[in-house]
Amino acid sequence: MELNDIKDAFDRVAKKQKLSCSKTQEVIDLIVQEIEKALETVKSASHLDDKYVLTELKRRLQDIAPLGQLEGTQKELNIALSKYTKILEKSFNPDISKAYRNIEFDTHTVSQIIASHFYRQGLFEVGDCFISETKESECSAAILSIFEDMYQILEAMKSGNLEPALKWAAANSDKLTQNGSDLQLKLHSLQFVEILRKGSREEALKYARANLAPFASNHVNEIQKLMACLIWARKLESCPYPQLVSQTNWVTVAEELTRQFCNLVGQSYESPLSVTIAAGVQALPPLLKFMTVMAGKKQEWQSMKQLPVPVELDKEFQFHSIFVCPVSKEQTSDDNPPMIMSCGHVLCRQSINKMSKNHSRTFKCPYCPSDIDAAQCRQLYF
Amino acid sequence: MEMDSLPNGNSAAASPPQNTTPAAAGGTTPFPKLTQLTEALKLEHQFLRVPFEHYKKTIRTNHRAVEKEITSVISNVADVSDSENFSKDDAVNHLTSLVSRLQGLKRKLEEGSRTEHLQAQKCRARLNHLESADAENLAEWNNTRVKRILVDYMLRMSYYETAEKLAESSNIQDLVDIEVFQEAKKVIDALQNKEVAPALAWCSDNKSRLKKSKSKFEFQLRLQEFIELVRGENNLRAITYARKYLAPWGATHMKELQRVMATLAFKSNTECTTYKALFEPKQWDFLVDQFKQEFCKLYGMTLEPLLNIYLQAGLSALNTPYCYEDDCTKEDPLSQESFRKLASPLPYSKQHHSKLVCYITKELMDTENPPQVLPNGYVYSTKVCIFLVIIM
Repeated sequence: MELNDIKDAFDRVAKKQKLSCSKTQEVIDLIVQEIEKALETVKSASHLDDKYVLTELKRRLQDIAPLGQLEGTQKELNIALSKYTKILEKSFNPDISKAYRNIEFDTHTVSQIIASHFYRQGLFEVGDCFISETKESECSAAILSIFEDMYQILEAMKSGNLEPALKWAAANSDKLTQNGSDLQLKLHSLQFVEILRKGSREEALKYARANLAPFASNHVNEIQKLMACLIWARKLESCPYPQLVSQTNWVTVAEELTRQFCNLVGQSYESPLSVTIAAGVQALPPLLKFMTVMAGKKQEWQSMKQLPVPVELDKEFQFHSIFVCPVSKEQTSDDNPPMIMSCGHVLCRQSINKMSKNHSRTFKCPYCPSDIDAAQCRQLYF
Repeated sequence: MEMDSLPNGNSAAASPPQNTTPAAAGGTTPFPKLTQLTEALKLEHQFLRVPFEHYKKTIRTNHRAVEKEITSVISNVADVSDSENFSKDDAVNHLTSLVSRLQGLKRKLEEGSRTEHLQAQKCRARLNHLESADAENLAEWNNTRVKRILVDYMLRMSYYETAEKLAESSNIQDLVDIEVFQEAKKVIDALQNKEVAPALAWCSDNKSRLKKSKSKFEFQLRLQEFIELVRGENNLRAITYARKYLAPWGATHMKELQRVMATLAFKSNTECTTYKALFEPKQWDFLVDQFKQEFCKLYGMTLEPLLNIYLQAGLSALNTPYCYEDDCTKEDPLSQESFRKLASPLPYSKQHHSKLVCYITKELMDTENPPQVLPNGYVYSTKVCIFLVIIM
């Protein structure tokens, strides 16, 4: 798909449209000219009979054939228009609903999902408007208040105020440490650097003593570097640890805070709606491709238990282990679990049973030619 | 605790990767980002088609108005020149009025051209938006796509306020089709008020294209008007109406025509089920649905909201039996009740390549962080195993 070709085709359309427009103006001017000429003649006390003038005018206009003149440019414009339509249909998939199953999504569930999405993205006004337009009950009230808190903290951080963030981190410091997060230290460091930036060495020192000290045992190096920055108060640009005093830290710490906040309240970091749509974007091309081949079998499509084509999603969509037996190409399940053989290679239980003729003989592993005794294979748990 | 650190057939320290690692299975590395992006862009037909259809329609309408006016002026001149009783003053007045009509037409043409230009700009803006997608701004571009999909949903469900608010909040007015749907809103509101006039006007505006697609929507509107006349017991008017507006459709839709005509024999409170159905107020809802379908088809839009299409594909691709277990990670959308509900009638995903996720760290176990088998058969990532060794 060459976007440049498509843009060129559109430029042609715009050009033809301009031509058509100016031709139309031209033609109208011609008509006006003729009528005005006739008008002049009639108004002036000429010897020509009025009726004659008018008949002449009628004949002139017929000769000019204004609509006929326009036909040429119109035709060219129509050709350009239909060419553009064709190039769109060729370069893009004209019907992405081909792989759609006729299953009704429950509107309420979808509305709930959308409302939650708005609130967790911080689009509170839009969310409220949506709830009132859909007349959904306040089912998303819980999500709303959770994320309102989070966005208040983030908004404050955006305007340079770390107080709410620090308060929240302090209140949740146990859970944060459990998660292995040093968010509290990071926030205090930000505050420390800001105090330094404003120039007050004593204040910064006082702050460090009160707030950085408790973390000293676990983060010796970092704190040493931070304290060293005291020397460069008011001249932080020249400090030897630019990454410690950089403004981008605010962004990274905000991200860390978002991640920890979501984790602590039992929410995912990414909006589930965004994740699902992104997965859909990756899944649609192979599904649609399959549908063009499958054409007649719409019935089967509506009722299958498993997708007929593999859809390989990116790493970020892998939440569960999938093991595909290299022999049978089937996904393992509780009924047919993966088994490790004595050589270290793994097959699914059904394949092992088949190859060993139900444990009646040894077989050779398809990867390394070691002899395998089915009874010695162990089940694996991911 | 003893541990097989390298669960392979040979006991050598360095080992070839097991068949459980994705690299050995071959080809599990995802499409290079560029191909993936191109495939994603190919899904955006509607995005480019809708403003283009709108642009085409404006061009057509404007041109028709010009044609009509020019024809009228010329035939006017013909009338004047052919008529017998025209005084000089009459002639002058007439010609002057024709000139001012043409001047007015020129102004209208200017205005129309400006509108067409704006619409062309919108088409271009969308082409530029597609072009702007690249590796650096992918996260933001994807975010915009989610918003576009949501605005499409809002417009289809007639939540116009939310659609506008959402579009404004991220400045994506050029990337969504609010005006196009406003046009539909007029017709839909009228139909919900049991008025067919705007719908009929829409049909006449789009006559040629509806005819090409063999649409019978206009016929259905006329039938409904007929039913309303019968309901109001205006039987004579109903018959006149039928003669004028329903008869032309008789050739292609005789059966339906006959069925509706038969209502003349019944009253609107008839108990006979076949005809009772025709008098139901639900018929108006059916007309609204029909209109929405015709409308979407005309503009090159999918019949279902984009949201449903993407959700269905995404849910299916993410759907595994493991998602429904209690310990499913929160990052999986299918750990949520609402998503599970939507996904339950959908098929499971299918994969041809193994992908193993460490139970503890939730990270993918690949060649850089290979899986290790513990003596009890449980598999964890190398990182976790090293950690276990350290703390033991």
